Amino acid sequence: MTEERGALLLRKQLAELNKSCTEGFSAGLIDDEDIYRWEVVIYGPPDTNYEGGYFKAHLIFPKEYPDRPPKLTFVSEIWHPNIDKNGDVCISILHEPGDDNYGYEKAAERWLPIHTVETILISVISMLADPNDESPANVDAAKEWRDFPDSFKKKVVRCVRRSQEEL
Amino acid sequence: MEGDKTLATSASTKAVEEESLAALNMDEAILSQRRGIEEQIASEQQYLVSSTRELSELERDYQHHGEFSARIQELKLIYGCLRRTRADGNCFYRAFGFSVFEALRKNKAAYQAFRKSITEAKEYLVIIGYPTFTLEDFYENFIEELDKVCDGEGCPISQLEELFNDKGMSNYLVVFLRLITSSQLQKEQDFFINFIDGYSTVKEFCSQEIEPMDKESDHVQMNALTSATGVCMRVFCMERGQYSTVTFPSDGKPIIHLLYRPGHFDILYPSADATADSPTL
Repeated sequence: MTEERGALLLRKQLAELNKSCTEGFSAGLIDDEDIYRWEVVIYGPPDTNYEGGYFKAHLIFPKEYPDRPPKLTFVSEIWHPNIDKNGDVCISILHEPGDDNYGYEKAAERWLPIHTVETILISVISMLADPNDESPANVDAAKEWRDFPDSFKKKVVRCVRRSQEEL
Repeated sequence: MEGDKTLATSASTKAVEEESLAALNMDEAILSQRRGIEEQIASEQQYLVSSTRELSELERDYQHHGEFSARIQELKLIYGCLRRTRADGNCFYRAFGFSVFEALRKNKAAYQAFRKSITEAKEYLVIIGYPTFTLEDFYENFIEELDKVCDGEGCPISQLEELFNDKGMSNYLVVFLRLITSSQLQKEQDFFINFIDGYSTVKEFCSQEIEPMDKESDHVQMNALTSATGVCMRVFCMERGQYSTVTFPSDGKPIIHLLYRPGHFDILYPSADATADSPTL
């Protein structure tokens, strides 16, 4: 039954997101038969290095959703301090309280059942605009972002261009 | 010069990576241990809310702690039986939810009052900016189940047992009870901030300790959830040296009774011949 409640909530969100216009991202299913596996496209936020990019990512929900958080992985290549080299996104709201893998400070907001696809993606967009180099998932990108902003930017712009070509 | 810098940078990068790798392994070990414990509890306690059990069953929990047998005798003077709840961190909310639904089943006036107060609690969360999409879903589901249980003559107890032992449904109800608790804490934050340790704001406490699943409860949660819902609850607190009872609110007439042992809540039923409302308790 856990499946059914969570699945129903996801179905409602999908219908709502498709009905209204969302800012900053679009969302759909990878496979129409599987409500737990979403494909989202996140638009690079304006006035940042990521502007103009259309970054594809997979949002995979566990059967225990909404008790447990989904996992977000970028499929498009992306260079960012908080996204590891496999594309896995490390932001605090996708982690449960007590899961301190990434050295988050205690006060950072964690996964709560009340979060929606929209609130998750808004957090991701704000992470793109404002990296957190205290808990980098990609140490090289974090160092480059801090110490060599020009070459960091060059790498990001390359990812932006590639994401446009792949669209 | 250039070469030295590169070398130093890569050495420090390596140190950072090693350090975070060590921390990662440690955290993963803790996390996997926690999951192991959860699985063990789930395999030992097949129920989320058990059938009614004899109080003497508690003696088995304390085979090597003789001092507790006196506490169990004291408990037996007032209470007839109990229902156990799974020790998964949600036991307070689950015990509260089950016993409230059970009590409201045959009490139309209290049911309507409860329904009204949880609606108000939900409205407050809307006002302070909670995501309405999920909030309304948890609320509607809760109301729907409450109505099913309380409408007409009240549902059979087996239906209630089934509802609270269906993990998906049961947890959905727990999520909403956590939100009601959070709503009350934030509404009365000037009061509750005095009882919260380790957090600088009530909001922070709520998002770390109340709203996430599996987080345990204590006095603050009991106070907030009973005052938000207007449900009067008596808690029999069983500790090694003594027992005490606490009633929320202290001048009310309890409609539900819980057993508290440090870190865990179960459901109690007053025995037919005991006067559980006696002010001397």
